[in-house]
Amino acid sequence: MRMTIAVAVLLALLPLGLPPYAMTLLTEALIMALFAMSLDLMVGYARLISFGHAAAYGLGAYTCGNILLHTDIPLPFAVLMAGVFSGVVAIGVAWVCTLATGVSFSMLTLAFGQLLYAVAFKWTSVTGASDGLAGIPRTKGPFGTAFFGTKTGFYYLTMACLFGSFLFARAVVRSPFGAVLRGIRENEAKTLSLGYNTRLYKIAVVAMSYMLGGLAGALYAPFAGFANTELLFWLLSGQVLIMVIVGGTGTLVGPILGAVFFLLVQQQLSTYTDSWALVFGAIFILFVLFVPDGIMGLARRRRAH
Amino acid sequence: MPLLELRGLTKRYGGILAVDQVTMSVEPGEVRAVIGPNGAGKTSLFHLITGVVKATEGDVLFDGQRVTAMPAFGRCQLGMSRTFQITALFPEMSARENTSLAAQARDKQRWRPLGGGSVFAEAQRRGDAALERLGLTHVADRPAGLLSHGDQRLLEVAMALAQQPRLLLMDEPTQGLSVEETAQAVDVLAGLFASSDLTVLLVEHDMEVVFRLARKITVLHRGAVIADGDPEAVKADATVQSAYLGGYV
Amino acid sequence: MDFLAFLVTQCLNALSQAALLFFLGCGLTLIFGIMRIVNFAHGAFFMLGAYVGWSAVYVTGSFWGALVAAPILVGGFGAAFEMGILRRLYGRDGHSFLMVTFGLTLMMGEAIRLIWGVAALQVVMPQSLSGIVFILDEPFPIYRLFLAGAGIVVAVVIWQFLERTRLGLLIRATSQNAEMVHALGTDVRLVRSAVFGIGCGLAGIGGVFAAPMVTASLGMAPNAVIDTFVIVIIGGMGSFLGSMIGALLVAFVQVFGSYYFPDFALAFMYLIMLTILVVRPGGLLGKEA
Repeated sequence: MRMTIAVAVLLALLPLGLPPYAMTLLTEALIMALFAMSLDLMVGYARLISFGHAAAYGLGAYTCGNILLHTDIPLPFAVLMAGVFSGVVAIGVAWVCTLATGVSFSMLTLAFGQLLYAVAFKWTSVTGASDGLAGIPRTKGPFGTAFFGTKTGFYYLTMACLFGSFLFARAVVRSPFGAVLRGIRENEAKTLSLGYNTRLYKIAVVAMSYMLGGLAGALYAPFAGFANTELLFWLLSGQVLIMVIVGGTGTLVGPILGAVFFLLVQQQLSTYTDSWALVFGAIFILFVLFVPDGIMGLARRRRAH
Repeated sequence: MPLLELRGLTKRYGGILAVDQVTMSVEPGEVRAVIGPNGAGKTSLFHLITGVVKATEGDVLFDGQRVTAMPAFGRCQLGMSRTFQITALFPEMSARENTSLAAQARDKQRWRPLGGGSVFAEAQRRGDAALERLGLTHVADRPAGLLSHGDQRLLEVAMALAQQPRLLLMDEPTQGLSVEETAQAVDVLAGLFASSDLTVLLVEHDMEVVFRLARKITVLHRGAVIADGDPEAVKADATVQSAYLGGYV
Repeated sequence: MDFLAFLVTQCLNALSQAALLFFLGCGLTLIFGIMRIVNFAHGAFFMLGAYVGWSAVYVTGSFWGALVAAPILVGGFGAAFEMGILRRLYGRDGHSFLMVTFGLTLMMGEAIRLIWGVAALQVVMPQSLSGIVFILDEPFPIYRLFLAGAGIVVAVVIWQFLERTRLGLLIRATSQNAEMVHALGTDVRLVRSAVFGIGCGLAGIGGVFAAPMVTASLGMAPNAVIDTFVIVIIGGMGSFLGSMIGALLVAFVQVFGSYYFPDFALAFMYLIMLTILVVRPGGLLGKEA
């Protein structure tokens, strides 16, 4: 807890000293961090590997974009509503995907993601098809304040979402519910035989994961000012899964570090090459081969020495 | 009224009759064993009772309630706890976390997603009591996967006990143990059954184990019951001898 | 149009589509059945086949040359990947393979973009296959007929290979009991490399066959891998016959679905998969329930 507060204070003080372009990068990093952390809830705690987490992100982004474009609902509320909406949709998705287990589950999440991607191209009135939604505003409020629409204000909003979500996720994984998730991760058949309806637990954790992932997407729409089909594309699902694995699954903090790490690497590499997918893929394979417990695992081993 | 009652229970896999019209019951406080040669349908019968597979015909009644169509976790919630033929644990959790998670399954607030300190405290109290009854307190903090085979078997029993079951179902409790480990495990189990009024149904092929633990025996042959009664009566039964025991007794 | 003619040409269409899907599905299921590896990169190998095929046509000037070169090169690359990377992961849980092959998919996509560029490449089909024939007075492309025929030929060849040849026997034996095969003096590691290579090579052939119809493009990989998994989930992981049935089912749904309900063809495919997952979670011919 002391560590969390220290990091929060540090991040809260950063806007005082950072130039605007760095603030933009940092805000994006925090959004990505929230997205990666949301996936860790499924992957790290229940061993539910999703290849379609972009669905959560895209759902959040399009929902928030539409709310902001068509209503006067204050920005922070719009973001929260989009996150919750994403979580509610996830109940249906998870109900279907948990019909299968293991690899088949993963493929179903991918299939659902691609289905949504295909829908986004056809449902022009809601998604703007291949043009996407442009000119998404940052609405005023609550109480008429324009603060959250400013660069600094939006940064604080993002930060609050990340920390709120982190505290929520941490409470969940440390609760009785979280203990059952760990049981499912280690031995699902045994957990079932102890009298837990494991499928309901899995559906619940997928919904939570989508809710937080949707929150991240909901922040991205007003951050970038647009939402397009890229946000639903399978490559994004892949990138975020890589961030989670490289950061260290089942730690919540690891994926946050993984996301920040990759955004910085991408930032640095993009001055030399635009083929960072090649680098991403290579780093990922090396991590799975040699450091399967990720950056957090490395840190833990170092401390143990 | 019997705690567990099977009425004409039948399971067919394609053309193969694995369990054939089995009718039997387990009275409260009874320790009963189901025995039979390999392929007699013991494991299939166990699956039907626990709810892992669905019956083709017939009924399973638990405490007078029809549970034939109830899924495995639902039957467990009614008070049927089981152990597996091949030890099933949470290998990376400590022994204490294993029993605690088992006990938590009986708590109304087992799914609480936030907070839950009181749930953990109560589950751990019950779990620790179960560990103590099986003499595992000294390994409580060790990861379950690193315990000896014998202790792992006992830990699985402890997990079932932590749920304070009304009926304990054991699938070949000494399967895979060495002669020495088997003797130790049987001693512990015999002590446990003698000092409590647990109702137990165990499936076992090791005769010595069965005759030491069980007070009642049901003999299965080709999926059907061919004898039922006290150990002495079963031993003396001519059909049983020809079908199964052969020259053993 | 005459309904009978419509039905016949659409069925032939579906058969040719099924042939393509079968190349993908049977390679994936072969690899899974024998090595318990789920190869996410299968779609990427399919895509690589299409691009290598394009280059082979470019160099040799012959589509038939491409049909020989692509599976050898793609299969060789697959076998090399198995020897260099996958081999280090045996003994780990299934997700490790899924993730490593996923990383490979990302890398292959980017590498192909660097080598061949972003534009879709048109593979010219051989003169002898580019015309049309009339079936019940309806025009039908010869190439599609050829494809359906090729699918049947390859299915028979693989089946005979597994049933009749020594390597086929070894492969089946390894899937049953790898230790025993090893104890009998066969290098199981080589068998595994060969199987992975053959599976990837099949995907590569599929890529070459597909290229004249759909052009070689960067979008091929994710769509192919999803279709492939749908087939294999329907048919049952590891079942050769299952992948054939799955391919036929999906192809017919795609062809007839996109004719009658063009907006819902994709949804239909998923609906079939879901129905089968509910009724038979292990797939039609799968062993695991």
